Amino acid sequence: MWTGIVFLAVIVGSIAFHVFTPWWWTDIASNWGAMDDTIILTFWIGGGVFILVCLFMVYCIFKFSYKENRKAEYKPEDKKLETRLTWITALGVAALLAPGLLVWNEYIRVPPNAINIEVMAWQWGWKYRLPGEDNKLGTSSVKNISDDNPFGINNDDPHGKDDILIESSELHLEKNRPVKILLRSIDVLHNFYVPQFRAKMDAVPGVITYYWFEPNKNGEYEVLCAEYCGVGHYAMRASVVVQDKKDYKKWLAQHKTFSNYLAEKFEQNSLKKAKIVKFNNLLSNEKSILKESN
Amino acid sequence: MTDPNLNKLPGGFKGMSTDIGSDQTAFKGVNWGKAMMWIFLLSDTFVFSCFLIAYMKVRASVVDDWPYPSEVFGLEVAGVPVPLLLIAIMTFVLITSSGTMALAVKYGYEKNRKLCGLFVLLTAIGGLTFVGMQAFEWSKLIFHDGVRPWGNPFGAPQFGAFFFMITGFHGTHVSIGVIFLFIFARKVYRGDFDTGRRGFFTTMKSDYVAIEILGLYWHFVDLVWVFIFAFFYLW
Amino acid sequence: MLDDINKDKKHSSPRTKSSSISGGERDVDYVRPADIPDQELYHGHSFLTKWIFCQDAKVIGVQYTLTAVFTGVVGLILSWMMRMQLGFPELFPFLTAESYYQMVTMHGMIMVVYLLTALFLGGFGNYLIPLMVGARDMVFPYVNMVSFWMFFVAVVVLMASFFVPGGPTGAGWTLYPPQAIIEGTPGSGAGILLMLVSLSLFVIGFTMGGLNYVITILQARTRGMTLMRMPLTIWGIFTATVLALLAFPALFVSAIMMTLDKVLGTSFFMPVMMKAGELLAYDGGSPILFQHLFWFFGHPEVYIVALPAFGIVSDLISVHSRKNIFGYRMMVWAIVGIGALSFFVWAHHMYVSGMSPWFGFFFATTTLIIAVPTALKVYNWILTLWRGNIRINVVMLFCLGFIVTFVNGGITGIFLGNVIVDVPLSDTYFVIAHFHMVMGIAPLMVIFGAIYHWFPLITGRFLDEKLGKLHFWITFLGAYSIYFPMHYLGFIGVPRRYFEMYNSPYMPSTIGMNEFISIAVFVVGAAQFIFFFNVVKSIRLGKPSGKNPWKANSLEWLTPDVPPAHGNWGEKLPVVHRWAYDFSVPGAKEDYIPQTTPPSEVIEAEVEKT
Repeated sequence: MWTGIVFLAVIVGSIAFHVFTPWWWTDIASNWGAMDDTIILTFWIGGGVFILVCLFMVYCIFKFSYKENRKAEYKPEDKKLETRLTWITALGVAALLAPGLLVWNEYIRVPPNAINIEVMAWQWGWKYRLPGEDNKLGTSSVKNISDDNPFGINNDDPHGKDDILIESSELHLEKNRPVKILLRSIDVLHNFYVPQFRAKMDAVPGVITYYWFEPNKNGEYEVLCAEYCGVGHYAMRASVVVQDKKDYKKWLAQHKTFSNYLAEKFEQNSLKKAKIVKFNNLLSNEKSILKESN
Repeated sequence: MTDPNLNKLPGGFKGMSTDIGSDQTAFKGVNWGKAMMWIFLLSDTFVFSCFLIAYMKVRASVVDDWPYPSEVFGLEVAGVPVPLLLIAIMTFVLITSSGTMALAVKYGYEKNRKLCGLFVLLTAIGGLTFVGMQAFEWSKLIFHDGVRPWGNPFGAPQFGAFFFMITGFHGTHVSIGVIFLFIFARKVYRGDFDTGRRGFFTTMKSDYVAIEILGLYWHFVDLVWVFIFAFFYLW
Repeated sequence: MLDDINKDKKHSSPRTKSSSISGGERDVDYVRPADIPDQELYHGHSFLTKWIFCQDAKVIGVQYTLTAVFTGVVGLILSWMMRMQLGFPELFPFLTAESYYQMVTMHGMIMVVYLLTALFLGGFGNYLIPLMVGARDMVFPYVNMVSFWMFFVAVVVLMASFFVPGGPTGAGWTLYPPQAIIEGTPGSGAGILLMLVSLSLFVIGFTMGGLNYVITILQARTRGMTLMRMPLTIWGIFTATVLALLAFPALFVSAIMMTLDKVLGTSFFMPVMMKAGELLAYDGGSPILFQHLFWFFGHPEVYIVALPAFGIVSDLISVHSRKNIFGYRMMVWAIVGIGALSFFVWAHHMYVSGMSPWFGFFFATTTLIIAVPTALKVYNWILTLWRGNIRINVVMLFCLGFIVTFVNGGITGIFLGNVIVDVPLSDTYFVIAHFHMVMGIAPLMVIFGAIYHWFPLITGRFLDEKLGKLHFWITFLGAYSIYFPMHYLGFIGVPRRYFEMYNSPYMPSTIGMNEFISIAVFVVGAAQFIFFFNVVKSIRLGKPSGKNPWKANSLEWLTPDVPPAHGNWGEKLPVVHRWAYDFSVPGAKEDYIPQTTPPSEVIEAEVEKT
């Protein structure tokens, strides 16, 4: 008796928790409302099954608890019932799967007007690279990374020259313009995740992965790393600001392109470099003198 | 076939499932040890498959050039480079040892102590030769050509890594097989299988079926070599 | 032999005098003579060979269980410390981010591999397989003994990593490279190496045991024990063992490759990367390859834990509701089907890993297909309760707890298996809540139920029922209130493996819940010591149970001695005449007919299935 009541309370409690929970997802700020919809659909179908199965179980506890003089029913199999249940379940599963796959199909096909933005992850922080007018990012390699070339952009690639480099952890996005996030990592696995955008994908060293979304709500959002990347994982945060086109352009104008950056660095370093070159020349001279004397 | 009731047994798939599902044994007349070896080999197949699939995946995706096998594995005989010479001999030796193993099993079942022992010993020697030639090949690659697990002068660094790992793992299998072959050759000569002498560790009676079980393992190791040969030397 | 064929046909009438095809008078109790001679066993003479290096599968089973439970207690203590940090951060200065991640890693690996796998297959498998199929022992008792000691050494190596410089690995239980082996990750020196060595030893040891279980079930059943008469416990353990034999190789291979990456500097899984401004010597490896290998092991591993639980719980529910398991054949095929399908779903752990997104379609489909046989098993469990005569004892309580937690965890699995729903939820607390519910709490419910059920067989005494109920209610209600609300943390978007998280703008609301969850964890963990106390107390002082106290049908309760002696069956092996579920058969005097009862003794019973 009490057993049945407590189990019933667990089920009722679960439903109540779900209905009255203050813990729920953040307001969506991207085009992926369909993801929320599939979750809700799964809640209806899955939750329904959970409630039905558990209520059936509780009913059995109340109704068929042990009595000395009662005998259980003897029924090894019921082909008809089993077949029916199989089909109903299969239908339910198909009803969940089909919309899910449709949305996934949308998720992996990037709209052609999307702006390509590179997110470069490292232990433990983020940098961003935006394309110039050509909407193309220059090729890059971890091997090229140096003080003068923080993104490791390939110097021979003309597409890379007009890339806009953002060395702060704050990224701005234009409202209602789809973005294709191209993920790179220079060390271990990371994952660029903004809960309000719903979408996420791992950044894997050695390959470039991607996903896309369309921010549609102005505001500042926190970026979380969602793939364990070492002791600093929990502190690997950044921020994304979604704003109107005008403000976005203003922000964009504040940042340097790769060629500007190179030129500036060159100026800064030229004096230092000249000294180093001189010193190196001296060294090599000395070496050759030594060699000759040997 | 004297039992007239046998005709009434179901045939085809129905018969097969009835047989497997019947009581006591799923595989009629199969010795426990033999069944166990088969299942172990199935598991081991998965080990080698994982190695080889990983190798294929990496080889297909590396950026650097993969070394050209007939050059790397070539030998110079009297100043003339002969591709894959050593490997051809190694493969021949190993396949031949499979033949001698099969003969050992045959004479084992005939309870021919001497011939069975002889062929087990021959198989062991074949295996030992294989391992020896593999050691030669490794030392040539390491000391002469400068191939290392972390890099090599020919191209992609994964070449050395996968080569040493997979042939090394296979070589370990062969070496274990050789050790057991020598032990069993001694056991056969001593007549353990005729007298049913008890095992030192397991205290269970010896039986000639052990030779067949060992043979299963040996043939498997040979078969795996064929795949390694194809994937490393011919691709 | 003909009787054999006969029994596949359904008999709606009792098999009384003559029902054979050859006509004429035949013995209704006829069972084919033995295929193989009786097994010869080695009997230990000294303390060492009787209790330490023992070749009796029952003793080995107990050894496995005790070792696994020991590691489980270590895992439990680790979880306490983790929850301490998450619920009440900065209360304990020794809980640094490094040690937190080490605890996360060790907790995960210990619980999944060293507790659950070893307990279900090594513990229950060893104890129950020979007894339930009517064998004297495992087919190779010596190998079986070595298997346990390999496992023991693996545990010692694993525990040793707590004491080496740098401590145990903090790579996360999935050990994803490149992070797992590069400097800067906690325990990236000796810790990760010991972990990899320990896993390899575990795989080798398990293979020895697993071969034994499979061959014992396939080739050493007693007379009359056909495959379709085996208890579902055996079906579950059998399928899980086959899965393990085929899935562990992937773990073994990835452990070897990662060891080489670490020790020799090969680049199997290591791409070119930059650490603190320096290029590392690695080049061209594929981190995703490791993930594929790991999950090719990892997903079957889930079912290695789940299938024995499915099997055992079916038997417990059937015995304690005095009713046959509903749809036995469907249950068997569901177990086998789930096992086979589990090899084709591994990449659903990798939807957002950066693998080719086109895989998503395939793996989402296979994953959701697996939901169908799983759901059928749930239906059959509750349909077994329907019109049963249910004993509400501790064993049944744990079974009911299993059904609730398993259905809950199974349904959240449908969320995560459906690729697009996984995108927002993966790597959040939703995942943590899901897999703890479905492969943590649910199998633990079965383990406890099974211990309460078989304790009388192992010791000849009952466990205390009152303490048992206390233990159950705290564990079930506590664990449910830990993991049910935790799903909602995932909806908010709280990522998993965060050492602390309170400076995020939308996370303050989680503080209260985290404190609540932590307190629940302390209580539930402490409640397990009620259970340990119960075991220790009942071994000596428990109520004597006598033979077959639950009035069960399966062979393990029908041994001449309780607890069963070495060799299990005394002089003569049992002969089986029926399946293990003839409960409440109409016409029969008792509400159960043991498997060894020949038809001639219960002529009036109207048996439908044999």
